[in-house]
Amino acid sequence: MAVVEQVALRSGVRPAAAPAAFWTVTRLRVAAIVVIFALWEIAGSSGFFYSGVLPSSLLIFKAFVGLLLSASFWFHAGVTGFEVAAAFVIGISTGALTGLILGANRYTGAVFEPFLHYLAPTPKIVFLPILLILFGVGVGSKISLGAISCFFPMALSVAAGVRQVNPVYLRVGRTFNLTRLQTVRMIYLPALIPPIASGLRIGLGISIVGCLMSEIKLSRAGLGFSAMEYYRIFDIPSMLAVLVFIFVCAAAGNVVIDRYVRLPGPQTARA
Amino acid sequence: MSTITHTGALRRPPPIVTRFLVLAALFAVWEAASRAGYVSAFILPPPSAIFQSFEMLFVHEGLVAAFLRTFAEAFAAAGIGSLIGVAVGYTLHRVKIAGRAFTGWVAASASAPLVLLYPLFLVIFGRNSATIVAMGVVGCMPPIILKTKEGLDNVRPVLLNIGRSFGLTPWKQFWMIQFPAALPTIFNGVRIGLLFAIINVVGVEYLIVFGGLGQLISDLGDRFEIPGMYAGILFVILVSVCFFFITEKIETWLLSSK
Amino acid sequence: MTPVLRIKDVAKTFWTPNGGVRALEPISLDIRQGEFISIIGPSGCGKSTLMNIVGGLIEEYEGEVLVDGAAVRGCHKEIGMVFQEESTFPWRTAIDNVAFPLEAAGVPRHERLKRARELLKLVGLDGFEQRFPSELSGGMRQRIAIARTLAFQPRILLMDEPFAALDEQTRLLLGDKVLQIQQELNQTTMLITHNIAEAVQLSDRVLIMTFRPGRILRVVEIDLPRPRSSKLMGGEKFGQYVAAIWEDLRDEASKGLQEMEGARTG
Repeated sequence: MAVVEQVALRSGVRPAAAPAAFWTVTRLRVAAIVVIFALWEIAGSSGFFYSGVLPSSLLIFKAFVGLLLSASFWFHAGVTGFEVAAAFVIGISTGALTGLILGANRYTGAVFEPFLHYLAPTPKIVFLPILLILFGVGVGSKISLGAISCFFPMALSVAAGVRQVNPVYLRVGRTFNLTRLQTVRMIYLPALIPPIASGLRIGLGISIVGCLMSEIKLSRAGLGFSAMEYYRIFDIPSMLAVLVFIFVCAAAGNVVIDRYVRLPGPQTARA
Repeated sequence: MSTITHTGALRRPPPIVTRFLVLAALFAVWEAASRAGYVSAFILPPPSAIFQSFEMLFVHEGLVAAFLRTFAEAFAAAGIGSLIGVAVGYTLHRVKIAGRAFTGWVAASASAPLVLLYPLFLVIFGRNSATIVAMGVVGCMPPIILKTKEGLDNVRPVLLNIGRSFGLTPWKQFWMIQFPAALPTIFNGVRIGLLFAIINVVGVEYLIVFGGLGQLISDLGDRFEIPGMYAGILFVILVSVCFFFITEKIETWLLSSK
Repeated sequence: MTPVLRIKDVAKTFWTPNGGVRALEPISLDIRQGEFISIIGPSGCGKSTLMNIVGGLIEEYEGEVLVDGAAVRGCHKEIGMVFQEESTFPWRTAIDNVAFPLEAAGVPRHERLKRARELLKLVGLDGFEQRFPSELSGGMRQRIAIARTLAFQPRILLMDEPFAALDEQTRLLLGDKVLQIQQELNQTTMLITHNIAEAVQLSDRVLIMTFRPGRILRVVEIDLPRPRSSKLMGGEKFGQYVAAIWEDLRDEASKGLQEMEGARTG
């Protein structure tokens, strides 16, 4: 009784405090962005840091425009874009295939999945020295590191997805005499879209990290290389502009995945 | 029929046995191929040579010190990240509008290539441990924030009502009910955060060739100390796997003793 | 007249590493066209096993299942199943869920949508064609599942506790819906349930099964006039049937309960 009364009391008090509704989600987000920019500017001009370490956002924007207008930037962006795309395609497809095999066959899964499970959260960058020996300083070592990075989350995500396909869907399929191919196309595939989407999302981020970290370590081309060149000549605005460009691309990639790799229907409250 | 499949299943060894047989076979083939000269011992030294060079790593290369340093940095990062992350997670849970505005951002940052911000920290802090720890913090925060919020959001309403019925103050309500109820989920976040911190710490160490296991591997590679380099890589992998395994066991133990 | 469905000496033993468990003693049963049969029994009486054998999900068993006099084994077009669990596909709209088996069978798009629309109307869901299951209530989703099974035009409709996950009032209203469908289509139906009132309300015959190993304890003919509805439940005769079935079922149910509790402590 006391609980009910207190709850009623509390919820009764709430409407009186209604003016708090000034903060909407959009206003709060805009405010956060403004605060972040302000803090950046204040920190940059405060004298706490060496001058030029936190350049004004205006300078970064100028450098960004300068990059977009330079041909060499687009060359480096093309190299990195190719590396990431190749790494992503290779890692994701082999990962998805491995996940399907491990998920579909219980014994194979039990034997090999612990390898993936335990290797997944290890730092992949340590493989780079081996990859440099195997594939040289060119795009090969970058692509292979990116591919190895995104292979693991995709494989684990798909394997778990296959096992978690609701068994009642499979029974429904059997009662309607679905062929094996129809079962895959009409039941497994749609049921696997959420795990595939999450594998793609995580995979995209870490394949970008894989490719760019190996570019930063040792390379002659690519955005990682070019950011490091700017760092060496202490052109911090340009270096940050390159990083901003990378983040924008990564975010755009995520938006594309969210938008196109999903099930029809409302996106909440999925069993 | 079912009896036949039953005996059929018996004939297969348990998965763990097969797993180790496969691993052993892999090493055997590798050793044989390397000795017979099918693959260059420079590119792929035989496992025996790699295992032998562990001694060199321990005695001459300061493997233990490098390991301790890397893990000290990772734990420092996870400690700082937990303090900030739990506070942020609590805020996102408590201030509903903030939760709706920013949880998506945090989730997006979890899959964003944040580690690439390290040059920024490099110019702020210089080439030292502070940069490395800062990158560890950046890496471990998203899962800790998200899991803290998730844990607090999912506390069963009936538990909160019990607290209210006893007239607990908001502060006591948090420490006596919400926090303990959310603790398993928060621990899970901290654990994932720690793993992400290790990944970032080793990565940045390797990139800027400063301190710990990352630098060790970079140095060995630069000196073309190939078996040693492989041993170092193997060591990092083994340590991460052991670490993952142990924290996983702690987590299940914590959950079962609840 | 040959029965639509004939179950002939069907029995089942499950094999485990510790030996066999007899789930079903030989059961024989004939079902006429248009008849509504309920199978009722305590948990663990093998009624779901029987349903899975008839539906073709269990293919290893003793005895025979015949549809229109011909033996069938495995899943069969003439036998449709509705499951207890949530089984609508969350990625398909209501109408696409109902059209699912027609799509699998290669029925052209226009025709299968027309057919699905009729069936949605039959189960009282016209106007909800383009909704996704997550936007509908549990009772509505279960009606979609029933319509989906009917889309294959099965001779026999098997339902395994289709209302078990629903609340009592929804359950009664759905029972009315099932009665109406059964009368409209003259649909031969076999229902598994452990709700006595539901069995009496819907059925022509109620089969009471014993605790493991399952066999038929008694067959009760429900001599109540059709068309029926849930209003039946107030009647005196209805109460007598319910009481009589519970009388038989009580011993079996308590046997089941004892064994379950024994298994838990032992």
